[in-house]
Amino acid sequence: MKTKLIASTLAAGIFCTPLSAAELTVLTAGDKNMVDYVNEYLGPLFEKGNPGTKVRVVGTGPGDAGSQKILERFEAQDKAGVEKWDADVAVVHEKFVGPMVEQRFLEAYRSKIPTGSLVTRENAKIALGTNVDGYVMPMFNSQTALAYNPALVPNPPKSYDEIVEFAKKNPKQFGYNGIKGGASGVSFVMGWIYAYGEGDAQKLMNGPFDPNEAKNWDKAFASLKEFTRNATLTPGNAGTLDMLSRGEIAVGPVWVDMFYSWKANGQLPPEMKLVLPSPGMPGQPMHYVIPAKSANKELAEKFVALATSPKVQAEGIVERFNWYPGIDAQHVQANLDKETWEKLFTDISPEELAKYGKPFPIAPYNSAILEAYERQVGN
Amino acid sequence: MNARSETKVVHGWGSEELPQPDSAGAFRTIHADSLKAGGRRFAMPIHLIGFLLVAPALAIVVLLFIVPLVSSITGAFDVGGAFSLGNFTKAFELYSRDMLFTLTIVLMSSALIGLFSIMIGGYLTLGSNPRAVAILRWIYRWPLFIPFIVVGQILRTFLAKNGLMNNIFIELGLMTPLSAVSFLDWRGIVIAFVWKQTPFVALLLSGAMASIDRSTIEAARNLGANRLRILIEIVLPQVRTTLLVGLILSFVTMMSVLSVPLMINAQSPTMITANMAFRINAYRDYGVANALGLISLLMTSAVAWVYLRQTMREHSR
Amino acid sequence: MSARFDWKWIPRGIALGILAFVIFGPLANLLLWTVTERWYFPHVLPLKYGFSFWANVFSPRGNAMSSLGTSVFIATLTVILSLGLAIPAGYALARLRLPFRGLILLALLIPQAFPNLPVYVNIARIFYQYGLNGTILGVVLVHVTHGLVYAVWIATAAFSAIDRELEEAARSMGASALRGFWDVTLPIAAPGLLASAIFVFLESLDEFTGTYFVGAPDVTTLPLLLYTAGAGGNYQIASITALILLVPSIAFMFVVERFLRSDVLSKVGH
Repeated sequence: MKTKLIASTLAAGIFCTPLSAAELTVLTAGDKNMVDYVNEYLGPLFEKGNPGTKVRVVGTGPGDAGSQKILERFEAQDKAGVEKWDADVAVVHEKFVGPMVEQRFLEAYRSKIPTGSLVTRENAKIALGTNVDGYVMPMFNSQTALAYNPALVPNPPKSYDEIVEFAKKNPKQFGYNGIKGGASGVSFVMGWIYAYGEGDAQKLMNGPFDPNEAKNWDKAFASLKEFTRNATLTPGNAGTLDMLSRGEIAVGPVWVDMFYSWKANGQLPPEMKLVLPSPGMPGQPMHYVIPAKSANKELAEKFVALATSPKVQAEGIVERFNWYPGIDAQHVQANLDKETWEKLFTDISPEELAKYGKPFPIAPYNSAILEAYERQVGN
Repeated sequence: MNARSETKVVHGWGSEELPQPDSAGAFRTIHADSLKAGGRRFAMPIHLIGFLLVAPALAIVVLLFIVPLVSSITGAFDVGGAFSLGNFTKAFELYSRDMLFTLTIVLMSSALIGLFSIMIGGYLTLGSNPRAVAILRWIYRWPLFIPFIVVGQILRTFLAKNGLMNNIFIELGLMTPLSAVSFLDWRGIVIAFVWKQTPFVALLLSGAMASIDRSTIEAARNLGANRLRILIEIVLPQVRTTLLVGLILSFVTMMSVLSVPLMINAQSPTMITANMAFRINAYRDYGVANALGLISLLMTSAVAWVYLRQTMREHSR
Repeated sequence: MSARFDWKWIPRGIALGILAFVIFGPLANLLLWTVTERWYFPHVLPLKYGFSFWANVFSPRGNAMSSLGTSVFIATLTVILSLGLAIPAGYALARLRLPFRGLILLALLIPQAFPNLPVYVNIARIFYQYGLNGTILGVVLVHVTHGLVYAVWIATAAFSAIDRELEEAARSMGASALRGFWDVTLPIAAPGLLASAIFVFLESLDEFTGTYFVGAPDVTTLPLLLYTAGAGGNYQIASITALILLVPSIAFMFVVERFLRSDVLSKVGH
């Protein structure tokens, strides 16, 4: 037994590359393409600019579960009292930045990097009601929207009222993934409450939190339950796209970024389009964060500065993925030709995006709405 | 019981010739023997030897799993810093249907897995045509090697309404597009579990069946018993323990799989693991998640206890 | 068709045909996705085939091959350690009158019976405290805690299925207990033990969450990639990765079977 232990420890030594100061570890939530983005594009670019460094990336999986795993990893190292954490940069969903800041896991670095001033959007300062100003730089902004196949649905629903109408006329042709399978379904539900809740939607997005607000949603949930009878429930964010791709549903809410990757992977018909219904659906940014106990803070800051530079945002985020940039649009637009820039807005115009692209409710409302859904719609 | 005594008869060993274990320490001498030094018997209490043999395995599980588990489980009884069963109340309030659903799905899958693996194992052991046996042996094991998350993916695109299976049937003219239905609900979960886990139990079972004494089977065959009877009356009783162990391990595995319910079943109710993931990822609510985990653990323990009690009885015989 | 056609092949053929469809239908789906470039409704089969996703999986910075190597290395160590612990434990649980036998077996079941999600934070914390994080040993230990469930339970079943008489017979011929165990008990239990070796190997080879918490970023295995691709609905990458993982699984199975056969044969020869 002992020799085995020794052998494996030895092997561990052989297998792990020795930790040099110039090794930068990036943890990223999200799909495989996020891993590829760092591995194939950002990593080599950074290594070229900083000779002797090496970037390695670990994908933690898509959706909230992926960000949750990063948060738990930080918690474990915090509780264990580790001095130097084993991650230098992390890419996480908006929802998880708040808890990370509150537990003091993160470094306030935005003012230290040159690109810090290129972000003025509100969602880089407040994440679901928590002040995260200075701790984050957005990698890209994502939005949920309805995906549809124009061949099957020539006139897609353009508002929540029209969605209800559509589902009545075409039973089971509208599909969404409930709330347990990922945030695109959650976003659809939040949009429903913004549209039909009897309270003030602005209050849900900006606070302050008032537990009595919940009773204003009862009617909205009753109608959502009624609506869901005419709809199809899909298994997860990917499940909605999956059923769209096989023509089993005709319309469904999806993340815009996932929609484009599925198209790029040949899993969706190329003629599929998007529409953002009024009065709006939530979107969220993915943020770059740097752990306060990163072993390579300076390098990490340099990395994020590169990743949020106008050139990389233009080339890497807009051109490569067709995603909405993280930093303010005008800085990115200047680095792109007109055609590429306009491709971003093929289906959803900048005006629509500005008008109907909403933030998620602040964290306590978020939980309250989800739990109310569980009680009133899911059961 | 029949089979057991038969075995003995065939061997020509009457059970009365065997050393009977005394009631306090079975086969005390065997193990003392193995430790004898220089011909002098060194009597070590049998309990201690047994414990020493089990200790390393137990230590790993206790230190590396049960200790961290306990520190997280205590959270299940903690609401706002005070001892409370609030998390359990909430778990039952919100997810009692899901608990029932989980239990039904897993029990149903276990029953089907048991049935199919007996059929496969039985044919592998008793099949008369070597070529058919070889073909079956080659076919049945493949799903074993596919990770659950991929099982979820390939069955999702296979069993869907416009999935590959229905499409093949439609192309072959076996059904019309209108009659195509999706299996992506509770049936999909059962299919996924049975597909993935049957080879697991069948492999164990056919291994156990292969090591039983062929002479009883031959004897029964010479007496004209048909194969089904041999399977049920002679083979199965001898591999009952292995079958039960295989099914319990399957049960446990299915109870803790997350990807299959997430990827295949969209409807509510869903399985306990999906709710645990949701409690953690959506609310960071470890309290209810741990309560659900404990409930799931209790379900499995109850099933495992059935087996343990039975083997205990055999032990004390 | 000769007159001696075996009519039993008709029911046999139908039964095997149905089974083959049930098993290989979904697997064909997997294989198709590995070479799919474009596939969507209403097309029954892929519109375009190609290997561009293979290039993605095997891109030099993706480290797929070295991750596969690590995966296999970890799985092998896990099997050795698990069986090394499980054989004595299983024997004791099957043969010796242990107090709290039921409880011990239940305890060993817990790592699999309690869905792990809420426990990983604490597991990771403990591994960080012991400095096991980021080491192969750490990952192996995590896999062993899960593998032991299979290994010990199956070993216990395998040992208790053996007629005591056989052991006694060997001993009455003067063999020592250890010798009797080695020559008689172990070979009879071998099919069960080796089957458990296969399950432990597969369990380790397919595991990702524990590996992420304890191994990554220093130790990366192929299932980490598989998980990200699979959960995100990237069918091609997930299918290709699963196909790659099939190779060591089947190779291991093959080795075990060879070993098993020669062992059983040698027993018959005596």
